[in-house]
Amino acid sequence: MTDIASNAELETPARDIRVVKMRGFGIGERSTVPISIATALVILIAWWAASEAQLVPHLFLPTPKEVFDAALSFWRDGYANATMWEHVSASLIRILSAGAIAIALGVPVGLFMGLSRWAKGVFDTPIEFYWPLPPLAYLPLMIIWLGIGEASKITLLTMAMFAPVAIAAQAGVRSVSLERVNAALSLGANRFQLMRDVVLPSALPEILTGTRIALGVGWSTLVAAELIAATQGIGHFVMSASQFLATDFVFVGIGVIAVCAFAFSFGMRLLERWLVPWKGQS
Amino acid sequence: MLRVDKASVWFGARDGKPVHALDRVSLDIPDGAFVVALGTSGCGKSTLLNAMAGFLPLSSGSITLNGHAVEGPGAERGVVFQKDALLPWKTVAENVALGLKFAGRGRKERRERAIELLRLVGLQEFAGSAPYELSGGMRQRVGIARALAPDPAILLMDEPFGALDSMTREAMQELLVDVWARTGKQIFFITHSIEEALFLGTELIVMSPRPGRIVARFDLDFINRFSRDRDARAVKTAPEFTELRERVRAIVHQDEVYGRAAE
Repeated sequence: MTDIASNAELETPARDIRVVKMRGFGIGERSTVPISIATALVILIAWWAASEAQLVPHLFLPTPKEVFDAALSFWRDGYANATMWEHVSASLIRILSAGAIAIALGVPVGLFMGLSRWAKGVFDTPIEFYWPLPPLAYLPLMIIWLGIGEASKITLLTMAMFAPVAIAAQAGVRSVSLERVNAALSLGANRFQLMRDVVLPSALPEILTGTRIALGVGWSTLVAAELIAATQGIGHFVMSASQFLATDFVFVGIGVIAVCAFAFSFGMRLLERWLVPWKGQS
Repeated sequence: MLRVDKASVWFGARDGKPVHALDRVSLDIPDGAFVVALGTSGCGKSTLLNAMAGFLPLSSGSITLNGHAVEGPGAERGVVFQKDALLPWKTVAENVALGLKFAGRGRKERRERAIELLRLVGLQEFAGSAPYELSGGMRQRVGIARALAPDPAILLMDEPFGALDSMTREAMQELLVDVWARTGKQIFFITHSIEEALFLGTELIVMSPRPGRIVARFDLDFINRFSRDRDARAVKTAPEFTELRERVRAIVHQDEVYGRAAE
């Protein structure tokens, strides 16, 4: 073999190298964060300008400063017979306990549905019937059956959150490759070991996606349910503020809801990174 | 010894006319033998392997391993797949030790045996890596180590090197010869590469499609010659090798032509 490369003169890197890459499509990998921040600033300034200039009646649109003061007062003194923490924690306890119940029931039921024809046939009927319904449509029924207290709200939320978790777990089982199952069986796995070491971890990415959807559904159901029937909770806070036409407090409530929802989806993303680092690999 | 006795497989088809995938195939794999099945796609070689592994029931006939009927997958028959089928949430060592975990062995023993097997396939320093951090050839080596872990009586290999580039493939062939020589396992190996089949097997069966059956058998010795002299190039360019290669090629290609004509 001849060594051609060693005879050729090595190209010395110039100072003004032009680094290239493949021409992309769409936005590619370039960051959109600065654009988003700028957009947020523009919206804030437009809000401030519109409210200061009284372009719309003050009742409809308070100034940023008023909203900020309302937030401070809510933080310090509370509102509607409860502190801010009491409102927020009432909502969080409802959604977290309902979420825990929904996952504890939904994951096994979904796995079972993915594995057994009978389980799928039996559970499909109620789930397909109630899952498309807006949860608020059966909230009155929950109140008649379980009263106005926590039980009716947590049951409502559990029902709203159960279906996406169960459906995702079922889809997760279906996505397990037959090859993986056969590999485990030919290594001597029994049914329980197959479930624990192959099926459940394979379905985990889908289960987490389902949980994320469930939290979204749960959150919107929760706030709506609290608007109708609650004495504490962030939805109730917004409702009472609106009854007094305290638009600035309504704004604060919406902001608190947004922060909570964002925190949930951020937490789920961290959970995914921690539990399924292999997602998208291999 | 694994014995396949008049194994037939009929698959249901959409048009209602069953497909004859395997037609009364009989085959003995004695202890220590390395049997290679060669054939074009659709010749029933994978069907035969799936039946041996217990993934597929037979329409008629029987398969026995050391006198016991095969009635489903089991740890006494190790399988290496075309696609590695490793579990991405477990480390390389945990993947290798999976069969031992299923058998209820302790953590320490699993760890030691996994390292030992990884050393056999030359991957001991990747014990803690994730499978998706490895190249295709390395993943197949993990697959081989994993299949060996429960100490199976036979290793069934379904085109394990089919997806690898030709250079990696040749290195893997030589590694497999070493594994075979050191462990003394019986191996049933599927390929559609004539050269690979001749190089690896102590016995070659050539299969033909529609219906799948064995059309030719050859006893081979190239693998022992390689074990002795360690010179793959000399083995593969020897006149006996190239001559047999052309004979086998003629048989396989005849099939292909007939196969196309029948479609």
